[in-house]
Amino acid sequence: MATLMSPKEFATATPAWWCPGCGDYGVLSALKQALAELALVPKDVAFVSGIGCSGKISGYLHSYAFHGVHGRALPVATAVKLANAELTVIAAGGDGDGYAIGAGHFIHALRRNPDVTYIVMDNQTYGLTKGQSSPTSMTGYVTGTSPSGHPEAPINGLSLALAAGGTFLARGFSAQPKPLVELLKAAIRHRGFSVVEVMSPCVTYNKINTYAWFKEHVADVALDEGYDPASREGAFAMLNRSDKIPLGILYREERATLEDLSRLPDRPVTQQPLDGLEERFAALQERYR
Amino acid sequence: MVLNDIEIMFGGQAGDGSLTTGDLIAGTFKRMGLEVYTYKDFPSRIRGGHTNYVIRACEHADYGMSDHVDGLVAFDIEAVEIHAAQLRPGGFVLFDNSSDAVPEHLRRPDVRWYEIPLAKIAKGDLGLEIVRNTVSLGALAALIGMDMEIVREGVAGAYRRKGEKVVDLNLRAIDAGARYVADHFAGEPSGYGLVSKPDAGRLIMMGNDAIAFGALAGGCRFMAGYPITPATDVLEWMAQHAPAYGGVVVQAEDELAAINMVIGAAFAGVRSMTATSGPGQALMTEAIGLAGVLEVPLVVVECARTGPSTGMPTKTEQSNLNHLIFSGHGEIPRVVLAPCSVEDSFYITAEAFNIAEKYQVPVFVLSEQALCQSKATLPELDFDRVSVDRGKLIDAGEVVFGEYKRFAFTEDGVSPRVIPGVPGGMHLEAGSEHGEFGVITENADNRRRMMDKRMRKMESMAADLPQANLRGDDRAHVAIIGYGSNCGPIRETQERLLERGLSTRFLELRTLWPFPEEQVRAFVASADHVFVVENNYTGQLERLIRYVTGPLEKMHAIRKYDGRPFRPKEIIEPIERVAIEELVEAQR
Repeated sequence: MATLMSPKEFATATPAWWCPGCGDYGVLSALKQALAELALVPKDVAFVSGIGCSGKISGYLHSYAFHGVHGRALPVATAVKLANAELTVIAAGGDGDGYAIGAGHFIHALRRNPDVTYIVMDNQTYGLTKGQSSPTSMTGYVTGTSPSGHPEAPINGLSLALAAGGTFLARGFSAQPKPLVELLKAAIRHRGFSVVEVMSPCVTYNKINTYAWFKEHVADVALDEGYDPASREGAFAMLNRSDKIPLGILYREERATLEDLSRLPDRPVTQQPLDGLEERFAALQERYR
Repeated sequence: MVLNDIEIMFGGQAGDGSLTTGDLIAGTFKRMGLEVYTYKDFPSRIRGGHTNYVIRACEHADYGMSDHVDGLVAFDIEAVEIHAAQLRPGGFVLFDNSSDAVPEHLRRPDVRWYEIPLAKIAKGDLGLEIVRNTVSLGALAALIGMDMEIVREGVAGAYRRKGEKVVDLNLRAIDAGARYVADHFAGEPSGYGLVSKPDAGRLIMMGNDAIAFGALAGGCRFMAGYPITPATDVLEWMAQHAPAYGGVVVQAEDELAAINMVIGAAFAGVRSMTATSGPGQALMTEAIGLAGVLEVPLVVVECARTGPSTGMPTKTEQSNLNHLIFSGHGEIPRVVLAPCSVEDSFYITAEAFNIAEKYQVPVFVLSEQALCQSKATLPELDFDRVSVDRGKLIDAGEVVFGEYKRFAFTEDGVSPRVIPGVPGGMHLEAGSEHGEFGVITENADNRRRMMDKRMRKMESMAADLPQANLRGDDRAHVAIIGYGSNCGPIRETQERLLERGLSTRFLELRTLWPFPEEQVRAFVASADHVFVVENNYTGQLERLIRYVTGPLEKMHAIRKYDGRPFRPKEIIEPIERVAIEELVEAQR
C-alpha cells in the first residue's frame, strides 16, 4: 500500500496529557501510525470516545472527534456509521467504559456488527477517579473501594465478545507498538465490528499489572503454530487460557454488517434529499382518508 | 332526538377485536362528515382483562371526549358493571346476551337496553364467532342511523387484504346485525340520529402517526428508540416508512443507547429523533445534557403516561412537564413544544426539526396518551407549510482548518456547524467544557462566555417558536390556560359556557419552554379568574405561571390525575362554581 501519510497528520495541537509512562500513549501513537499506513485522512475519520483516562484520547487525534458521556461511545459510533457509511468510525474507551457502565452496549454492538472499530484500553483500574477496582481488576486487588481486596472475579472481555457474536477480536500490548499497529490496521480494514483490547498499564495506580508483569504474562498467538483465528472453539480455548494472556488476532469471521442489513440507501443517509417530496407525502397521506 | 353528537364506548376483553371495530366506526363517522375523537382505555396487557374504546363524533373539530357515554356496546357483564354509570340518562346499552342476561341490579332504568345475541348470530347464522364485533357494528349502525353504504364500504376496505371471503363474511355480519335491530326493535328508537354531511376530503389519523409523519416531512432521516407505551407507534411508523426516503431506524437495546444513537447520527449530520415515555425519558436525561453542551440538534418525542415508575403505562398524564424542562445536571438551552391536536402534532413536529437545527438544541415534542394514541379527524395536510431550514449547517464545500471554530462566539449564540467528511472542519466535540475550537478548557472567562453563548439561544429563538392560540373572547373576565390533550375539552367548555351566557378566553399553549412569560403575564393580568387545567397532582403548569405572576388569589386549579383525560363537565363545573359564587357575592 502506498504510504504517503505521516502519523503527524493525525496529531492535534493539544498535546496528550496522561501520566508520564501511561500505556495510553502507546495506543495513541499506534493508532496514528495505523491510520497513516492505511492512507486515511482526518476528515474521513470519526473518532468517538467515552469517559475516563482512556476517553481523553479523542482530544488527541486530529479527526472528527467526539467525547461523549461515560459508557455510551458505541451507540454514538454505531449511529455515526449508519448516518454516513463513508466514514471510518473508531470508538475507544477503557475497561470501565466498555465492560462496566457500557457493557450492555458492548454486547449489542457485537451482535449488530456495524463496521466500527472499538479499542478497549484496559489498565485494570479506574485511573481518573484515583485507582478503584475495575471489571478487569484481579481478585484481591486492594484499592480505596476494596480495602480488604477486590472480592469479584475479573471479566474476560474478549471471551464475552466471542459469545456475543464478535467478528474480529484482537488483543495488543501498548508496549509492543509494531504488532499493535498491525492489529489496528487489520481491525480497521475488517468489514464489521472489530474489537482491539489493548493492555495499557496504569503506572500510577496499578502496581500489580505493570509493564514488567505483562511482559511476563503475554504471549503472541501468532507464535503458536497452527493457531486458526477462524475457529470459534479454538479462539474460546485460547481466550480462556489461565497461564498466558494471548495477544494477536484471536478470532475473525466475515458476516453481514449492520449497514448491509439495514436497507441503507446507496448514498449516505446524510446526503438524502429533504426537499421536493410533497407529491410523495401527498400519496402517503391517502391511507388516512 | 340527539343529532350528530354521540359518544360510543366498546367494552369487552382485551384482544377481542374492539379496536378494529372501534376504528371502523370512527372511519364511518368521519366519512359521514362528522368530526371524530377516539380514546383508548386499554389495560397494559395484550389478551384478557377489561378494555374499552371510546369514539366521539360531533360537529366540532378537535373536541375530546363528551361528558357521558351515549351508547355502550357491552360484550360482557363486566363492561356493564364498570361503565353503566358513565351513561347519559337517555343513553343506551347494546348488550350481547348470548350467554348471560343483564342482572337486574345493573339494569339502569333511565337508559334503553338492546339485548342482542351477537355471538349466537355470529356463530349460528354466519358460522364464525369472531365476527361478533362486526354484527355489533351492524346493529349499532341501525340503531343510531349510520349510513349503511358507508359502513359497508368501511368494512370492505378494512378486510380487503384478507380476501374476498372475509369481506363477504363481514358484510353479511353487518346485515345480520342491522336485520336483528329491524326485526326486534323497530318500535324502540335509540333517541340518536346521525345526519351525513360531505366528508370534504378530510383525514383521520392517530396522534402518534401525525408526529411520525411530521418528523418525516420535517426531514427526519434517523430514528432510534426502545419500545415503550404509548410511544412505540412512532418508532413503528418510522421503521415502516423512513427507509423509502433514505432514512434508517434502529431499535436500540435501551433508551440510553437510543438517545446516544440519535446524538451520533445528528453529529454526523442527519436530522434525528427518538420517541419515548416517562421511564425512558428519565434514562435519557444525561445524554440530553450532552446534546445541549455539544450543541447537537435533536428531537425527543415524549408521549407522556401516568407515572411515577411504571405507573399506569396505558393511561394519560401531564406529570412530565417538570422533567422535560428541569431535568439534568447543569444548565442547557432546550425547547418543549406541545401540540394541541392531532393535526398540530404533524406541523409542530416538523417545525421542531427546524428549531433544533437552527438553534442546535434538543427539542422535546410533548404529547400524552390521550392525544398521541387517539385518532382524530383533520383537514388534508398542507405539505407546502413544511419547510426545511438547516440553519448554520455546513454539510458541503470546505472550511479552513485553524480558522474554523465549531463553537464560535456569535451574537445569536449559534455557531456554524460542520459535519464529518467536510475538509478542514476537524475538531473535538466534548461534553467537557470547551473553547471556541472545541478544545477542552476550564478557563473561567471562557466558561462564562460559553455559558452565555449557549443560553443566549433561548432568546434568539423566540421568533421561531410556535405561538400560543388565543381562543374565545379576548376581553373575557374568565380565562383558561392549558395545553395538549386538554385543549379539546377546554374548547368544548368554552362553547358550552358561551351557550349559557358566560364568555371565556383560552390561552392554548404550544411552546412550554422557553416559557412565554410576557404573553402569560399579560393574559393573567387582565383576567378576573384564571383557571389552569392540567392532568397532574402538583400543578406543574400552574407553578410555571406563578414563577411569572407570583401568587394570585384569582388563580384556580383544575386538576385530574386518575389517568383519564378530562370530560368537559369536569372543567365546566369548577368554572361555573366560581362564576356563580361571584354572582351571589355581587348580589349581596
